[in-house]
Amino acid sequence: MTTSAVTTLPTPVEPIFNTKPRGLWSTAFHRLFHRRSAIIGMIILGCLLFIAVFAPFLATHDPVQSQIGIVDVQKRAAPCIRLFGCPADQPEFFFGTDGNVRDLYSRVLYGARLSLMVGILSVGFAIVIGAFIGAVSAYAGGYIDNLLMGLMDILLAFPSLILAIAIVTVLGPGLINTLLAIGIVSIPVYARIMRSSVLSIKQQDYVLAGQSIGSSSRRILLQNILPNALTPLVVQGTLGIAVAILDAAALSFLGLGAQPPTPEWGSMIGQERNQVFTAPHLIIFPGIALILTVLGFNLLGDGLRDALDVRQRS
Amino acid sequence: MTRKRMLLLSVLLILGLVIGGCTAPASPSGATSEEPAATEAPAAAAPAGPFEPMVYAAENCDYGGLFKSMEAVDEQTVKFTLCYPDVAFPAKVAFSAFAINDADYLEATGGGGDLIENPNGTGPYTLAEWRRGDQMIFQRNENYWGEKAIPATVVFRWGAESAQRLVELQAGTVDGIDGVGADDFATIEDDANLQLALRSGTNVFYLGMNNKFPPFDNERVRQAFAMGIDRQRLIDNFYPPGSSLATQFMPPSIFGYSQGQEWYEYNPEEAKKILEEEGVLPGFKTTITYRDVVRGYLPNPGIVAQDIQAQLADLGVEAEIVVMESGSFLTAANDGEIDGFHMLGWGADYPDATNFLDYHFGPGASAQFGAGFPDIWEALKEGSTKATPEERQPFYDTANELIKQHVPMIPVAHGGNAAAFKADVEGAYASDIGAEQFALMNPGGREALVWMQNAEPIGLYCADETDGETLRACEQVMQSLLAYEPGTAAVIPSLATEWSANEDLTEWTFTLRDGVTFHNGATLDANDVVLSYAVQWDASHPLHVGNSGQFSYFSSLFNGLLNAPAAE
Repeated sequence: MTTSAVTTLPTPVEPIFNTKPRGLWSTAFHRLFHRRSAIIGMIILGCLLFIAVFAPFLATHDPVQSQIGIVDVQKRAAPCIRLFGCPADQPEFFFGTDGNVRDLYSRVLYGARLSLMVGILSVGFAIVIGAFIGAVSAYAGGYIDNLLMGLMDILLAFPSLILAIAIVTVLGPGLINTLLAIGIVSIPVYARIMRSSVLSIKQQDYVLAGQSIGSSSRRILLQNILPNALTPLVVQGTLGIAVAILDAAALSFLGLGAQPPTPEWGSMIGQERNQVFTAPHLIIFPGIALILTVLGFNLLGDGLRDALDVRQRS
Repeated sequence: MTRKRMLLLSVLLILGLVIGGCTAPASPSGATSEEPAATEAPAAAAPAGPFEPMVYAAENCDYGGLFKSMEAVDEQTVKFTLCYPDVAFPAKVAFSAFAINDADYLEATGGGGDLIENPNGTGPYTLAEWRRGDQMIFQRNENYWGEKAIPATVVFRWGAESAQRLVELQAGTVDGIDGVGADDFATIEDDANLQLALRSGTNVFYLGMNNKFPPFDNERVRQAFAMGIDRQRLIDNFYPPGSSLATQFMPPSIFGYSQGQEWYEYNPEEAKKILEEEGVLPGFKTTITYRDVVRGYLPNPGIVAQDIQAQLADLGVEAEIVVMESGSFLTAANDGEIDGFHMLGWGADYPDATNFLDYHFGPGASAQFGAGFPDIWEALKEGSTKATPEERQPFYDTANELIKQHVPMIPVAHGGNAAAFKADVEGAYASDIGAEQFALMNPGGREALVWMQNAEPIGLYCADETDGETLRACEQVMQSLLAYEPGTAAVIPSLATEWSANEDLTEWTFTLRDGVTFHNGATLDANDVVLSYAVQWDASHPLHVGNSGQFSYFSSLFNGLLNAPAAE
């Protein structure tokens, strides 16, 4: 039904049951924009995206350049902002300097790029592979199903961070390997979700109807099953990005992820962990950045789940 | 005798069974299988009757080690005969790995087991209780031959993080802590309730290069890097007070230091020019390898590595940082497998040039810097065979100059570090070589002094330990023939009151102190000394058991063990 069809109706008062029916996604977005937490999540992520894209313009210093010999500043200097009474004879560093006398503010900004990249790419990788495995498993059934799901169960049996550490140890430390490791350990979740949705959708009337009128299985899969199976994946994926960012930060904290001097939040915290008492700003600022990012993804994920949940729609 | 032997074997067997996780009790039939090992046991009994002097000698000097024989001349005199002169012999003898044990106790424990858990020494303290994983409690030895210890009880505790140790000290739950974090010096100095005890840097932090890997096989390239690293910047920014710029490998307070020698002037333009001339630049990529452990010579490993990385980037060299596990890093470095730069350091075991230079640049040195330099070997060999410091110094000046010319490594810093105590602890000090004597401190009149260090001691038979945290615990209980003066590193009498050498420094005679008793009541005699040394020296000795069986200090300070297994 189209909007024009509605407006051409001359009825002055619309009956309650005659409200405009919407598509799944249109309804979802409508619901999403009416949830305060989801809006907060989207605002946070919007800011984050803006920072990540425009980091070179927002940063005040080169994030990997040591300020020794360039500016007269101590290592681990406290934040100094002109607006809040930083004396004119002191160099201005919004978040202070780190143990290597680099500008923490610029490093935190650039860190947003890395964290977003790691989160989105590793989850994207996991969803593509996981969805494929899950769909094949559900569609094929039989021993292929048993074999694939057995493999996924084995992967799931390991605590994800431990497995990621093991993978990085084998592949060698580094950002790309971290990305791969986190991607690999998140595959089973998406595979299982995909499989269960496909299994349940396979039994739906509209799929059976499609089969009975002789649609090709490819058409059924792409037109009927996939769009309906995608919603749980999107929700899980959004929440999964938060987990992936945290895992990447944990690996970097342990020195297995991003290698110095790359500005990564986890490694920034890891390097200065002994300075909690003497220079807390070195832990607090990257920590806040990490918390906000994870919070943003979680709020958005929760909002999406509520918005897309079929059972709540009535 | 046979009963003793059987006892020893059963102890060994029980130990083996416990290690194997087996609960079966020791049986006499099991013991017979170990009989062949015991047939080589020398007459090592300490009889209750008249004194029978013990002699332990190598057949000849072909095994390469220092000792030729060790003998008890009479009850109070011990004579060591060496294969070749060693001017640093008293300094080595004073080291705590060579503490004297009661001969009977050595035999009763079978060279391990209780020797590690319940040490029986002559020191100012006895071990009262060792709660594994928690704390170690020492009681004052009321029969001590010297001045009695001031605190009746000394408690050792441990914690790996410097922040944690500082919090305990501030809270007042401990009286002293070791390893003050590099950034906490000011906090402690500003706190009226605390005092800081500095150790001068008897260590060196260096940036090693292995000349096996190109372009480090080119001496000019190594010299260029020596000019291209701003060492003063590292010290100014990343080292605590008390640290100093290294002008050479030797620390200033240790014999062998060349007064007035300077390292290459920092000159990045010149360095860049040479590197370009030699075809290294542009486009040189290398690695900086280190282990992420804090040591006195390197209080901020990760940050220093990143600063060196940034400095190399300024030269146009792209360096990747590689962090390795401590043990595998040392193995890889010693096997000469690390390409690029490696960050390592050395702390003094005993105050002599041989401990620094011979170990790293002598003919027997590891492959850490690749192929050695014969002209340095020559100078070091000459230096170690002369008798007086005045005669030796010129050779070490030559050696230090040659090291500067060849640049096997870039010496960076002598790192200062510190212990901290409550302000009311009288006589608090930190030993340069980490050998604090708590018997000399008065914890504000309190009965107990609680000390918190970096790690738990591993075992208390320090002949077979190398860890500094472990040696410190041994030093409260055990004593060597000689000792280092507290606060300095001068050699002073301990269990031996006098010592002398013959003209060519190959025969050393020690006179033992009268009336020294062990904690178990046994009296110290010359046979205790001979046996304590012999079990370490002879790898085939039935009491050569220890904790790991390596006896690394004896092996490295006295150039090898007798009858050492060929496998190594």
